[in-house]
Amino acid sequence: MMNPQRLSLSFSSTSYKYRFVQGFIRALKRINRQKLATSLLSRSSPTEIYKRYLKVKSAADASMASAVGLRRAWSRALLQRIRDQERINFGNKYYKYCPAGTRIRGKSTTFTMIRNIKRSSDDRNCKDQESINNGALGWKANELRKLVPGGEAMDMCNLLDETAHYIKCLATQVKLMKRIADFASA
Amino acid sequence: MQPCSREMQGMSSLLNASSSQISLEDLQQQQSQSSSSIQGSQIHQIHASHYEPPPSHDDFLEQMLSTLGPPSWADLGGQPGKVPWDTTTTVPDGNGPNNKPRDDETPDNVPAFPFDESANLASKFRNHQISGGCGSKSAAAAAAAMMLQHQLMLARGGGAAGAGETGLVPMPLSLSNGEFDRSQNDVVDGSSSDVTLRFKHCTMDSALDLWPALVRRRTSFTILRHAIDFGGSMAAQQNYGASGPAMNQTQAPSGSSGAQPAQPRPRVRARRGQATDPHSIAERLRRERIAERMKALQELVPNANKTDKASMLDEIIDYVKFLQLQVKVLSMSRLGGAAAVAPLVADMSPEGNGGDCIQANSNGGTHGRTSNGNTNNNQTASSNDTMTVTEHQVAKLMEEDMGSAMQYLQGKGLCLMPISLATAISTATCHTRNPMINNNHHHPPIGSNGEGPSSPSMSVLTVQSATTGNGAAAADGSVKDAASVSQPW
Repeated sequence: MMNPQRLSLSFSSTSYKYRFVQGFIRALKRINRQKLATSLLSRSSPTEIYKRYLKVKSAADASMASAVGLRRAWSRALLQRIRDQERINFGNKYYKYCPAGTRIRGKSTTFTMIRNIKRSSDDRNCKDQESINNGALGWKANELRKLVPGGEAMDMCNLLDETAHYIKCLATQVKLMKRIADFASA
Repeated sequence: MQPCSREMQGMSSLLNASSSQISLEDLQQQQSQSSSSIQGSQIHQIHASHYEPPPSHDDFLEQMLSTLGPPSWADLGGQPGKVPWDTTTTVPDGNGPNNKPRDDETPDNVPAFPFDESANLASKFRNHQISGGCGSKSAAAAAAAMMLQHQLMLARGGGAAGAGETGLVPMPLSLSNGEFDRSQNDVVDGSSSDVTLRFKHCTMDSALDLWPALVRRRTSFTILRHAIDFGGSMAAQQNYGASGPAMNQTQAPSGSSGAQPAQPRPRVRARRGQATDPHSIAERLRRERIAERMKALQELVPNANKTDKASMLDEIIDYVKFLQLQVKVLSMSRLGGAAAVAPLVADMSPEGNGGDCIQANSNGGTHGRTSNGNTNNNQTASSNDTMTVTEHQVAKLMEEDMGSAMQYLQGKGLCLMPISLATAISTATCHTRNPMINNNHHHPPIGSNGEGPSSPSMSVLTVQSATTGNGAAAADGSVKDAASVSQPW
């Protein structure tokens, strides 16, 4: 596995793809089983469909994030968010869902927090960061922060870094999901 | 003396064959170009008889020589009538060979130097430069001295001279002249300066090329001589070249990378018009990092030919939103039964980006479409009948293959575009189509498969009306560009 810190051409998505597809198909199977388990009547109600949509979407995101692993800030934040959401929505049974496992939980969150706090405090001295935040680029950067998971506590430099990787992974995800959908419907 | 001179001549013949006789060529060029100004009649005597013009390194030297200003050799040595490598005058050290008059410094006299005195010569050369010249100008020459010492160490056979090298090399660095230090650092460390690079390259080249010949000690005299001559002449030229903007270049790298020189006094001279405090340097580094990341992002985002940072950020934001929307749609498509569009539509924010090409195939597609078609047909009631037929046709085609659907549309003179773009074009080109625009606004951009065919058809309709209404061929062309964005996948 190559160093994912490098932004340019050397994005090895083969291993990402493989792990993503694995995790995603597994999740889909699980969701399908649940779908079959529910009664026929309630299966096609809008709320059920919506719930299932949510599950599928979070399954996709989670498998993508765990394929990336914890190397990237956005994947860590995404996994955290999904775990929290699932805990709220569906109770504790979804804890096993994310293949990344719970062992990373305590360490990763603290690590992320510390790292992000450090980064933002380092840049407080830098006038450039303020000018970016206040100027025309400022609110755009904040927009981007809202979009990219975990981007709230990042400075411009890392934000762009994470955005590039995130875009790559999203594009891969979309491609793979399309292919799966085509395969399933054919 | 006699055997040495014989060896000298042997060596000179050997050296003539090598291609790295830069000193010869540059000296000869010096002679040809500025013979009057240089007290190089001496050089003439010295070199013309013994050396032949080397075959290569023409372009580099020409560049160097082109930067020659009015040569003021006096500036170098601080004494008129002296050339840089003349160390005989200012040094109080009373070595016999060093006190020879300039005219006698022919190759025949060189072997008179015992090898140990070659080191002395180099150090005196350096000292001379320090004492005589103005700081920055002599820096180059002093740097040359350092290179010479390196070569000396090489000449001594490498390994054993390691200690000596470390002994000699730090010496110029600890000199009291602060300015000398800094400029020397600039020249030595300024690897980003072309002049310095070439200079280093040439010295190392000449040293390395002569390396096989360096094995034998007795040949080292000539090597030293070459090195000194080369270094001196190169230093002179470098001074002339450096008097201009090259000076700033050599100093700028140290200004911009102030942390690099590991010297006892790392004073950094700034570029013109820029501050030197570490904050601005850090800011500059940050800005460079951000710029390179933006460039990397530009490659990722399609259709990103914007040079402006702000518009680039806009593109990036739009693209990220678009991709996230696609993931949502794709995860929706797998559920089959996409009849329940309403909650989904309420969930998704009305974004026009993904309106065109997200057409996921699914078994429940037909169901969705029929259930949604009723709701949508009310909105499309104002459209022509032909348009609905086209709509259905396109929808059918989209189910099978996106490419064929696009071709069908293009055959009809239509194309797909995001609704936001469609509204922008229609408002810009024809203001009479307001009801159509309102329809587009009410219409959610994309929902499930059911929504899929209707939304692009709405945009198709708009395009056609705009085109037929105003003959806006330009709009069509630009629209095709927007549609072509989605082609890659």
